[in-house]
Amino acid sequence: MRKIIYLFVVFMLCHVRTLAQDTTATPTKEDLGEVKGALEGVNETVTELKNTVDALKKIKISGYIQAQFQAADSAGTSSFAGGDFAKNVRSRFQVRRGRFKINYDNDLSQYVLEVDVSQSGVAIKDAYIWLKEPWLRSFALTTGAFYRPFGYEVLHSHSVIETPEFARAIQTLLPGERDIGAQIEFTPEEGPISNFNFRAGFFNGVLNTANENDRNKDFIGRLGFQLPFQEENLAIDGGLSLYDGKVASNSKFVYSFGPTAPVKQYVVDSLASNVGGSYGRTYYGADLQLYYDIPTIGGATLRGEYIAGQQPGTAASNSFYNPGATVTPLYVRNFTGWYVNYIQNIGVKNQLVIKYDFFDPNSDVDGNDIGAPNSNFTIGDIKYSTFGLGWIYHWDANIKFLAYYDFVTNESVNPAVSGTLAPFREDVKDNVLTLRMQYKF
Amino acid sequence: MKKVALITLAALVGFGFMFEGETLTIKGSDTMVILAQRWAEVYMSKHQGVTIQVTGGGSGTGISALINGTTDICNSSRPMKKSEKEKLKQRFSTLGVEIKAAKDGLAIYVNETSPVKELTIAQLKGIYTGRITNWKDVGGADVKIILYGRENNSGTYVYFKDNVLEGEDYSSTMQSMPGTAAVVNAIAKDKFGIGYGGAAYGKGIKFVKVKRDANSAGYEPTAESVKNGDYPITRYLYMYTRSKPSGVMKDFIDWTLSQEGQDIVGKVGYFPVR
Repeated sequence: MRKIIYLFVVFMLCHVRTLAQDTTATPTKEDLGEVKGALEGVNETVTELKNTVDALKKIKISGYIQAQFQAADSAGTSSFAGGDFAKNVRSRFQVRRGRFKINYDNDLSQYVLEVDVSQSGVAIKDAYIWLKEPWLRSFALTTGAFYRPFGYEVLHSHSVIETPEFARAIQTLLPGERDIGAQIEFTPEEGPISNFNFRAGFFNGVLNTANENDRNKDFIGRLGFQLPFQEENLAIDGGLSLYDGKVASNSKFVYSFGPTAPVKQYVVDSLASNVGGSYGRTYYGADLQLYYDIPTIGGATLRGEYIAGQQPGTAASNSFYNPGATVTPLYVRNFTGWYVNYIQNIGVKNQLVIKYDFFDPNSDVDGNDIGAPNSNFTIGDIKYSTFGLGWIYHWDANIKFLAYYDFVTNESVNPAVSGTLAPFREDVKDNVLTLRMQYKF
Repeated sequence: MKKVALITLAALVGFGFMFEGETLTIKGSDTMVILAQRWAEVYMSKHQGVTIQVTGGGSGTGISALINGTTDICNSSRPMKKSEKEKLKQRFSTLGVEIKAAKDGLAIYVNETSPVKELTIAQLKGIYTGRITNWKDVGGADVKIILYGRENNSGTYVYFKDNVLEGEDYSSTMQSMPGTAAVVNAIAKDKFGIGYGGAAYGKGIKFVKVKRDANSAGYEPTAESVKNGDYPITRYLYMYTRSKPSGVMKDFIDWTLSQEGQDIVGKVGYFPVR
């Protein structure tokens, strides 16, 4: 655009000069007036064009595509490494994510719209308005569909997180990463409290692509800190998070763990008044990130996150209970999940990635209780751990390649079990190799 | 399956180390381009086999390149923002290393025929935010003030906005120029123009003395006024690296901070830090 302006100015000046050369006599006052008028006209045009260019500069377009090949240990396996494999399918090509984001950045206010295009279709990801107050420039309001302010991973784009997918606990507890709601943030840029930040708000507690389905609004908040130790090449960041929400049961059957003997099992409450009753969806989270610059090798990150709490789900699923679905008994579970992730930069282009994640959807029972005679535990109560090992090569500023292998281990259930739980008497073959190429702009 | 995974990982690791290079690249501030080029020329003449590539583009562009891994050293005429450090930390797990390489008095230029000799910081703020639009309001002729400035990827643009305009927006009538040399050239041809930029570029135009307030003395950006802190618009010029420098990069940076390197700072028109 700048070139067009310059060419226009040069053209106009040449035109003016041609006009001046048409007269062989000394320029008259009228001639000079004409030139001055022409220049003022150019100046006005340039100013107008500049205003247009400045307005266009506020529109920022970004996006990324993740294309990948995956191979699983067995056909049709369930997976948290990009979704379940279809029946009889052991390997696949995928457009895992195809994001396109438009951001109108007006300094103290922003319009953000992001869509995801993949073989599954088109889905809205972000659609929000961000407004920062002009006085302290520390408080901001966000409304719409956007990241839930909880923990570390869920607040970061999949384009920058080093592993192919978030930890199993994060995917289960905060699926889709986003929700619809309103949030206040406090992120001071300067001063003694600039090392702290706070984000909290109220959300529907469903997903960013679904309507509210009960009378409850969920509170989600995170208090974070960032402590840089410049001289030691070290930084320590972290935060504490809370998800305090509720779901409404659409069934009178509400199951919860009871201290029954001799066999652990769920006990059912089947009062008619349970229909429409609210049950807590409560998560407590703590996250910590250590960054250390190792001389001559490169920076290293050690990152961890721990979440515990209560999850209302269904018999077969430990994902959150959706009262908008067909009438389904509600199961209340106490859970624990955590992960540790180590990233070692090697030079500018290479990164070694190691991750271990753990998710126990029902911390009141262990493997031997699941499938024990007279127990009523399900596939939704099995704990998993995943060891991931990967390598990232950054081809240039836009393209990176990732090779990553997930070693997935489930706990072994009671040997006496039969039916759908039978395969879990031993470790199921569900390891996954991911080869991914990403283009980001 | 595990064998396939291990072979794939090993292949990628091997591929990842195929193209590691040795050339030192420096990118960023247009204000510092001349200085960085002089440093590079002299250093390369004394260190055969070392190649240093210097390009401008603005401080913001240089910082982006540092974050993207496409430059070894970033020149910046403003400190890195918190958000930029955060991106560097996210990508490279480092906080970045800041090196104060020189000092600069941000000069205010007017055409050499202009009768205006000095301006206060408040007057400059009024002029560049559009509240003062006529030279007669600041001691000049009864003509419109023509504003020249830098584009928003420039560290000079950001520094001037933060420290002179106190965060307020520039007037929409300001003409954004692609470099400080372009600002100087424009003002040399425009009797009613005003601009800002590095003191090293002050040729063919004249400097306006800058006063902290109406009752203070006015100063031009000289070695003495910048060193003493008398000149009100003084800033550091920075070099940034991702990690603690080592090898050729460390040697080069140490040399720029040596007596010989700092002498070049003075010759180019900026002010040494040591």
